Parts: sequence; C-alpha cells; structure tokens
Amino acid sequence: MNDKIRACLENVRKPARYTGGEYNAVYKDKNKVDLRFAFCFPDIYEIGMSHLGSKILYGMLNGMEGVWCERAYAPFLDMEAEMRKRGQPLYALESGDPVGEFDILGFTLQYEMNYTGVLNMLDLAGVPLYSRQRTSLSPLVVAGGPCVYNAEPVADFFDIIMIGEGEEMWPELIALYRRARQEKMDKSAFLREAASIGGIYVPSLYDVTYHDDGTVAAITPRESAPPVVMKRVVKDLDKAYYPDKFIVPSTEIVFDRAMVELFRGCRRGCRFCQAGYTYRPIRAKKPETLEKQAKALIASTGWDEVSLTSLSSSDYPHLETLCESLVDYFEPMHVSLALPSLRADSFNLALVENVQKVRKSGLTFAPEAGTQRLRDVINKNLREDDLLEACKVAFAAGYNGVKLYFMMGLPTETDEDLLGISQIVRHVIATFREYGKNKSRGVRVNVGISIFVPKAQTPFQWLGQISAEEAERRKQLLMDSLKIKNVTYSIHNYQTSFLEAVFARGDRRLAPVLERAWRLGCRLDGWDENFNFDAWMQAFSDCGVDPAFYANRQLGEDEMLPWDHISSGVTKRYLYGELEQAKRGIATPDCKAGCRNCGALRLTGGGKCDV
Amino acid sequence: MFKVRFCFEKTGTAAYISHLDLMKCLQRSFTRAGIPVRYSQGFNPHIEMSIVVPLSTGYESKGDLCDLDLICDELPADFADRLNAALPRGMRVLSAKQADRPVNQIAYCAYEIRFPAGDEAAMGELFASPVCMEKKSKRGSREVDLLDYIKEIAFYREDETTVCRCVLAAGNDPLNPMYLTKALKNAGLVPEDAAAHYIRTGILDENCQNFYN
Repeated sequence: MNDKIRACLENVRKPARYTGGEYNAVYKDKNKVDLRFAFCFPDIYEIGMSHLGSKILYGMLNGMEGVWCERAYAPFLDMEAEMRKRGQPLYALESGDPVGEFDILGFTLQYEMNYTGVLNMLDLAGVPLYSRQRTSLSPLVVAGGPCVYNAEPVADFFDIIMIGEGEEMWPELIALYRRARQEKMDKSAFLREAASIGGIYVPSLYDVTYHDDGTVAAITPRESAPPVVMKRVVKDLDKAYYPDKFIVPSTEIVFDRAMVELFRGCRRGCRFCQAGYTYRPIRAKKPETLEKQAKALIASTGWDEVSLTSLSSSDYPHLETLCESLVDYFEPMHVSLALPSLRADSFNLALVENVQKVRKSGLTFAPEAGTQRLRDVINKNLREDDLLEACKVAFAAGYNGVKLYFMMGLPTETDEDLLGISQIVRHVIATFREYGKNKSRGVRVNVGISIFVPKAQTPFQWLGQISAEEAERRKQLLMDSLKIKNVTYSIHNYQTSFLEAVFARGDRRLAPVLERAWRLGCRLDGWDENFNFDAWMQAFSDCGVDPAFYANRQLGEDEMLPWDHISSGVTKRYLYGELEQAKRGIATPDCKAGCRNCGALRLTGGGKCDV
Repeated sequence: MFKVRFCFEKTGTAAYISHLDLMKCLQRSFTRAGIPVRYSQGFNPHIEMSIVVPLSTGYESKGDLCDLDLICDELPADFADRLNAALPRGMRVLSAKQADRPVNQIAYCAYEIRFPAGDEAAMGELFASPVCMEKKSKRGSREVDLLDYIKEIAFYREDETTVCRCVLAAGNDPLNPMYLTKALKNAGLVPEDAAAHYIRTGILDENCQNFYN
C-alpha cells in the first residue's frame, strides 16, 4: 500500500474494504508472473466479496502457473472522492498496483444497476471506456455473469463477453492471449480468433441495424464470428474446479460464510425467472463432493457458517442425508448450516430444526403472487394450502414470524390478485392464532414486494413492464390492504425497477445513455442514497432515447430481439410456448415430471438433467 | 482452563481492521489454528476473549494484548506458531503467557506519530504550556488540558518525517493521540490536510514499565 492510498484511507468509512491483506488472499511475486488479471466487481466490497462466482474464478486463475489474479471493487462515494482528489487510480487490493496496467480486466455483470459501476471503475483506472478506443491487446476488458444473456447495452464497452460458466472458457482464452502476445497478434486478430472459442462473444464482430420503428432489423456477424453464441457449461460439477479456500474478509460483508453449491439450474421453470432458464441444464453435485468441499472450506477459513446454495435448495435430491451428515460433523465445532431458497411446498420442519441447531434464523417463503390464477400464469407452482401448512408446522414448533416475498405488476395481474396478497397474509396470521406455540408473543409477518421486471431469455421477455402511473395506483392499493396489525411491508422503488427493465431488454443504443448518466454523476445506483432518477431521465433525453420503448413495450412474436444472437441453450420457440401457456393460465409441470425439451441439454451433448 | 494473554503486532493493512472486526478476525484465526478455545455457555455460545486496550482504526501497533480462555490446563507449546500461520497479513503473535496481571494496572500507552517534516522545536514548545481542548468521551464532551494526559512527549526528525514519541494516559480516562495532531494543526505546525501515521509502541503500567513483561 503506498502513501497516497494510506492518505485516502484516513478519511473514509470502513477502510478495511480497501486494503486487501485478508486471510487466504493470494500474493505472488509480480516479477515471476506473465499475466496480471484484475477481477473487477462493479459494486462495493461487501457485495462483491459475497459473490460465489468470483471466489471460484479467483481460486482457479491463481492456481494457473504464471497468472496472478487480484481483486478490485467499486469504491464507495467517500473513497472515490479521496482517490480522485489525490490522483490515486483504481488499484488491485493485493498489490496496490493500478489495474490500468494489468493484462486482463474481468468484470462480472450481476445486476443492471451496476453498469455505471463498470464505467466508473474503467475511468478510475484510466482505461478508455469503449472497446474501439482501446487498440492494444492490454488491457483486455472482459465481462461475464448473469447479465450477459442480454449485455447489449454494455456491449460496446467490452472487448469480450463470456456467455456461461467460466471454468473451462478462461483457461482457453488465457492460452490464446498468451499465444497472441508471443506471435505479436494485433487486437483485432486476437479477437477474431477468440470468437471461435465456444461461449466467447466478441461484440465488435457483430453489426446491428434497426428498422425505422426502432426495432432491430438485423444482427450480422463479420469475419467468421458465429451467428449465435451458445452458452458454455461445465458438464460434470463433481469434476469441475472448486476452491478449497475462500478469502476471509477482515470486515463484515453481506454473506459472511462458506458456500457450497448443491446444483446449477432449476427444474421449476418460473416464467419470470431468468436464472431458472439461463442456468439450465440441471447438474447436481454428489453429496460426497459437497461434504468434502464444505469440510475443506471450514477448515481453511474458520467461518462459523456454511451455506448450501442453489436456486431451490429443497429440490436437491439428497438434501436430508447431506444435512444430517453435515450437522453431525459441524455441530461440535459450533459451525451452523444455512439453507436458503427453501420452498414452502416441500418444507420439512425436522430438516430445518436440525439445520438450525447451532443458530436459529428466520423463515422465508416466496409465493410471488396473491392468487392461484396468477401463480399458474407465472408457473410458480405453489398452493396457498402448502404455504399455510408449512407455516402451521413451523408456528407449532415455536416460530413466531415469517417473511413472504411477492411481486407486483406481473403479466395479467388484476386488483383481485393484488388483494390476494393481503388475504394470504391474513390467513398466515390466522394460522398462527390457531397453531402458534407461544401465542402471547404475537406473530410478525414481513412482506417484501418487488416490481416485475421482464428479463431477456425468459418466457416473459416479450412483455412490457407496467407504467409508472399504474405502478403507483397498485402500490396504493397494496399499501391500503396491508395495513394489518403484526404486518410490516416494504415495496421496491418503481424507478429502480423501471431502469432495470430498460437495460434488461435494451440494445446497443443505450451505451451512450449509460455514459451520459455516469457523466451526470450516476453510480452505485443500487444504493438509495446515491440514486438520482432525474439524472437518468436527463441522460435519456440528452441522447434522444425513449426509455419506455425498452421498458414498457410489448415485443412482437416475429420481432428480432436485440439478444437473438446469444443463446442460453433454451430455444426461443420453447420460451414462446411457455408464454402462450401463461396467457392461457396453464402451469407447466416441473422437469422432474418429464423432460419438456427446452433445448438446454444440447449444451451437455444430450443425457438428462439431475432432477 | 488456562487464561492466556498474548502480545501481537498489527501493522500495514491490518491496521485498518476495526476493533469489532478484529475480534471476529481473531476468533476465526483461533478456529483455523485449532486453538482449544473455551466457548461461553448459553443460548448463543461465543469464544471468551477480550482485546485488552482497544485501538483506533488505522493505527498500527507493535504490541497489542489479547486475553483468551483455553480449555486446556497449560499453554500449548506451539500456540504462537500455530496462530501465526492462521492470521491475516500484518498480524503476528510475538509471545504468549498466562494472563496474570489485572488489566486495571494499565496506566499509559506509548505512541509514535509520524508527520511530514515540520518545526520540531516549535512543536515541543507548544506542549510546554497548557493546551486546552474539547475532549470527547462516552460520557460526553468537555474542555481539558492535554498536559494532564501527557506523561512524556518529544519531537525529532527522521529523514523527511517528523516523529512524535509520547506516553499518554490510558485506563479509565485515556487520551487518543489524534488530539496531539489536532493541537498541532490548530497551531499551524502541521498542515491541515497532512496525513498522520499512528503507531502504538507499548502498553505501560503506572511506573511506565511494560505492563505485559
């Protein structure tokens, strides 16, 4: 750490976020490596350090001979001001060296509202924002993460976007990069070759044209780039790289615990859920693998909690035996298990009680919609009876609170559906009054309501988001109906959800808007204290772009979509079929009941999902 | 049960670990090192430990103290080595022994403060007569004379740096060395935007002898 960084740290909150030096952070001799890699997370340390994918890549890249992977996070406002004031460029936490001097900057795109964070970090690093402004091979600016299934709004900023899981793509890309350096290839020759690696998307090799009405006319690949970039996946998670060490932060982060991944993919097919489609096919780890990985991580980190993560943990086939065995092993060590993403219809009290022997946490369920009709539309195959049964069992065992997640603005939603939310809440309270173990303590129901955002590569990708006026009306309706004793609720900010919708279904014409908004001071937009909607609206207007065209418009069945050249494996035809089922109010059974041929299995060369 | 008191360094990046975070860091280090720590009884068992004299975030220390209950009857011979292999960068155990002296015998702390080079003679002069200042504590804020808290103070030059070595009150009514910087800045002897670098060099008893030895 140099004196300039030290001077910055004197005046900022939580300086431990900016120092590195945490246990298990990797330090190498920079004179003995040939490839410096900066893993850039466009949000603050507490968020970035909680992200599992970064940990996997950090361990994997540092395991490669000659590669040193370091970390950089978006500085919070106070730190950014100090850095700019003192002329301190964005630096990697391990070495303190400016990331602008690195060979590869790898960004992860977790959330649309982080896009300004990418621009701000590039700028703080002294790196030109647009790919076309960077003519040499280094730094190469690469993106990955869940937003890549439509990264068109940020496509012009990146040299390469990686579609899918990085475990196999990175070694191939790094090998090519080294060869390019050796053979003194120029950047465009390198990018042309990179485009032939499966899953590698080189945005500059695609020309996009538009119709007069603003819709996409054509996406044309150049120089032998593939017409469609197909997602890369790891076939066998038991054999895939998984770190036996995580960096243990020296200050509090959001998910301060070890994590093991039960499986990737989800068999449920909720029609609003992007992860549910883009992480297919379903690939599970064996319980033996998970046990080994959990034990190794706890031994190397000293954490007192290990979380079993997945999109829907109760769907893991061996969950009970795995938990039993882990609890037996960890309980004497004062290590607890966390089991997020449980479904109410497969709620198993014995399991939850067993898992929570060391520390008791809350109950959370996500019915998502207030009526069975709407839950069928979105394919959230959860019945109210199942939810109430789960609550009954839990209340009878001594729980006295539950957190419920819903969405508003879902396709076909009526006022009756919205009022159904308060009905469910009242039924939950009545269940407590009847079965609660400790009635005198009273029940607490915490309701979280988010606003539906149509996402690319889902059946709802063709549908528009509700307007601001309509959102306000529905919000009032909800607020009036949720004034119930023992109930607290929070409703997401519409403005943020609106911008998410704009960028989730946006195209390349949004890049100048992002740049303009960033120049107007937008950054850390996920943080209420810095969110400036007026500046965003000004950016749209300055660039002559109508945000409603992206957020609120219903797209045509035959319309070319801005992300049609990117495939998650699931076919567009399958997604459209699901949309039609939704319109008819018909649910689709989960994949366990039989394969629906969504298309994802072609990624693993056939076979079947681990359901 | 064995009550161990160990002396550790906290330098470089580790200086920025806050007091609360340090507790957690140490607890995780004990776990990684396989130290046989004692957990409290009760609903939410926690490791029985305390950091003897908390240090402000950003200050380095050449010898901080931590008390810890072990479930064994004597100090494991490799206690320091094991713990050192498990600590974050910048932290190092220097020695460990039985916690014998009560911590209320701590009366002073020694510090080194480093500034950009200035007029050391004038700085010494400033602290030759009363320096009145608003001092904050848990009980509120009041006007004090810094001299009542300063046992020793000296300034000297080391290359491009002015070094202040001082011994300040600790215990019930301690003085944070940042008040000295504040006084120097108020007097115009250190530039307002200059960074000061703090290092705690010792924890002392009322005879100004090392408390730990």
